Amino acid sequence: MIPNFEVDGSKPAPQDLATLNAQILLDSAPAATIVVDHAGKVVGYNTLANALLGERGADVIGQHPTGAFGIFLERARRAGGMSAHFEHYFDHAWYAVVAFPVQSSGVGASLQVIVAADVTDAKNAEFAIRESEGRLEEATRIARLGTYKLFWDTGSAQWSPHMYVLHGLTPDTHAHSAESYRRLVHPEDREAYDRILEDQLSGKHIRAAEYRIVRKDGAVRWLRLDGRVLFDAEGEPYASFGTCQDVTEGKQREQELKNLLRRNTILYEALDASPIGVAVVTTDGDIPDFFYVNAEFENLTRHNTSSLSEAGIHALRPADEGDGWDDVLDALSSSSSGAFELTCARRNGDSFIAHVEVAPVRDHPGQVANVFVLNLRDITIDRQRAEALLQSQKMEALGQLSGGVAHEINNLLQPILALSELGAEIADTNPEKVRKYFDVISSSGRKARDIVRQVLTFARRDAPQLAPYPIASLVGDALDLLQSSLPPEIKLERHIDVVDIQAVVNSTQVSQIVLNLVKNGADSMDGSGTVSVSLDCVDLSEPAAAALTLSPGQWVVLRVVDGGCGMDAYTLSRIFEPFYTTKLAGKGTGLGLSVAYSIATGWGGTLSIESEVDKGTSAMVYIPIATRESPSIRKLG
Amino acid sequence: MANILLVEDSPEVSMSVREILESAGHTIEDAVSGKDALQRLSAGSFDIIVSDIWMPEMDGIALLKEIRGAGNNIPVVVISGGAPNAPLTYTAPLAATFGANVVVYKPFEKAELLTAVASALSDS
Repeated sequence: MIPNFEVDGSKPAPQDLATLNAQILLDSAPAATIVVDHAGKVVGYNTLANALLGERGADVIGQHPTGAFGIFLERARRAGGMSAHFEHYFDHAWYAVVAFPVQSSGVGASLQVIVAADVTDAKNAEFAIRESEGRLEEATRIARLGTYKLFWDTGSAQWSPHMYVLHGLTPDTHAHSAESYRRLVHPEDREAYDRILEDQLSGKHIRAAEYRIVRKDGAVRWLRLDGRVLFDAEGEPYASFGTCQDVTEGKQREQELKNLLRRNTILYEALDASPIGVAVVTTDGDIPDFFYVNAEFENLTRHNTSSLSEAGIHALRPADEGDGWDDVLDALSSSSSGAFELTCARRNGDSFIAHVEVAPVRDHPGQVANVFVLNLRDITIDRQRAEALLQSQKMEALGQLSGGVAHEINNLLQPILALSELGAEIADTNPEKVRKYFDVISSSGRKARDIVRQVLTFARRDAPQLAPYPIASLVGDALDLLQSSLPPEIKLERHIDVVDIQAVVNSTQVSQIVLNLVKNGADSMDGSGTVSVSLDCVDLSEPAAAALTLSPGQWVVLRVVDGGCGMDAYTLSRIFEPFYTTKLAGKGTGLGLSVAYSIATGWGGTLSIESEVDKGTSAMVYIPIATRESPSIRKLG
Repeated sequence: MANILLVEDSPEVSMSVREILESAGHTIEDAVSGKDALQRLSAGSFDIIVSDIWMPEMDGIALLKEIRGAGNNIPVVVISGGAPNAPLTYTAPLAATFGANVVVYKPFEKAELLTAVASALSDS
């Protein structure tokens, strides 16, 4: 033991040199220090230790230490006896504690020195570093950024945890080697990867090198690699380090964008190749604006998108004859679709007859549209051609009818002329015979009068309006006139069963329909055969009417049936197209059926055709029956 | 004077033609169709045929085809109701094609028909 061993210089002088040396040593120590004996009782301490010995100060000599040193001693003894080294947190401060034994020559017994240094500042700095490292790790994880370091001499690699995640690997199962990594690279990208590696080995930094890997589960991912080369003191590269990032989604977006651009290009090219003028019109403002026009639209109007966009849709409206555009504007303002025939102005002042179709482009059904597609076609030539051919068809029909009328009249004039001439010669000698001649002459005259009346009736009936007519007699008259213009070996059968029914028609059109259908039937039979014309009444059921787009109920049906060559499905699908004909040049205009169809639908009825190749064709005209509600029913003489 | 087979379905026309031909001293036998005419041809003997075109059963063109087809060169005068320039009527040009000697268009006067008959007879 060391009695009177004190740390305070004001205390009595030390008893021997060893004790004095010990005290000087203690006081010069830069950290709080105490000395204890083998029983753990304090034999000495320095000034710095005061604060860590609790309240007792000098009274601590010969006592077990209290305060922080009590804990340090306890912990040191538990940890390893005389020698120990640990850090301890006490009363808001960190202490690095070192305990070690010393031999005191004076007491001849072993003592223990416990030194406690305040390391709070260093500790805080360490914590700060750890925290920032943690943040970096978190940032790299969020950025899907892996970091790596590659040592070239050994081929060994250090990967950050996220590097493994990027490659779909775990640290336990992946053995780092150049070859094992190369196997991960997508076969198509291995050559590119080899070049990246060569560049690194030759000392180049890597910027945004991209390649694909195939993960174990088969998933293909795009990686982007950035790398820097580390050089040793001699300037030789010895390692590289860098980051690795998963850019698959970016690559996919890039590809989608490329596809989108390609689609756009194709769409624009296709639109420009279209033979129809196409414009996209927006109606955000008061005046419809041209958003886009294709090449044909520019060609037709002599405008381009910018000149149209400046002038608006009114640029296409001629100063006169511009009324048709009102319907287009109506369609735009009411978000509806429609097709219109109108006059369209060109930029150079010309104009043309145009067919315009408007259709709204809707995001959602029912929603008001403010984007429209507008199709434009020049139908000037079609119109002229149609008019010319309609005229020629009219002439053809007229010729046919007049031929029939002429034949009838000629046959009646024959006895009138011949018998009056002969009668005059024998008037004196054979008055008996002359009287007989007169009978024949007057009966022929009466017949001729009837035919003339019939023709005139047709002419008079040629009113634009529809009215109720006795349909049977109209059809009968038309057949009478038609009969003589048919080839002699074509037989015409009549089955007219609806004697008293009035139908709402136009009489001239009835003869035109009958003429067209019968003539088609006759033409299909190669010179001989029978065309059967029947007229009867049918009661259409709901489904039957729906198939014909008519309303159910009573209809008059004019049926013209031939035993001719018939038509195949393709021809049948086109027969109502104007100018479509299977007849030889000069034999038909191709307007017959389309005229018949337009007449029948104009009456509110329809024309339906059934046909079988080599069996023949049946044409059925559904004609509306006059009801009490129909306008005045006139009897015709 | 000739023995004539007159083929015509209209009674009024038939009567007036018969009167013209008889006034010139010809003898007439009537037929009302091509078929009727063929039967009468095989039964009797005629110098000339005067035939209409448009008739039921067998028309004038078909009759001509039969006669000429059988190698019979009897003179034929066709009397046609169609106007010579009427479009789309089935008439005279066809009759000439099938071997009619003369075509006469109705309505004709007495001299016209008699000239035609004389001309046709002189052909043979």
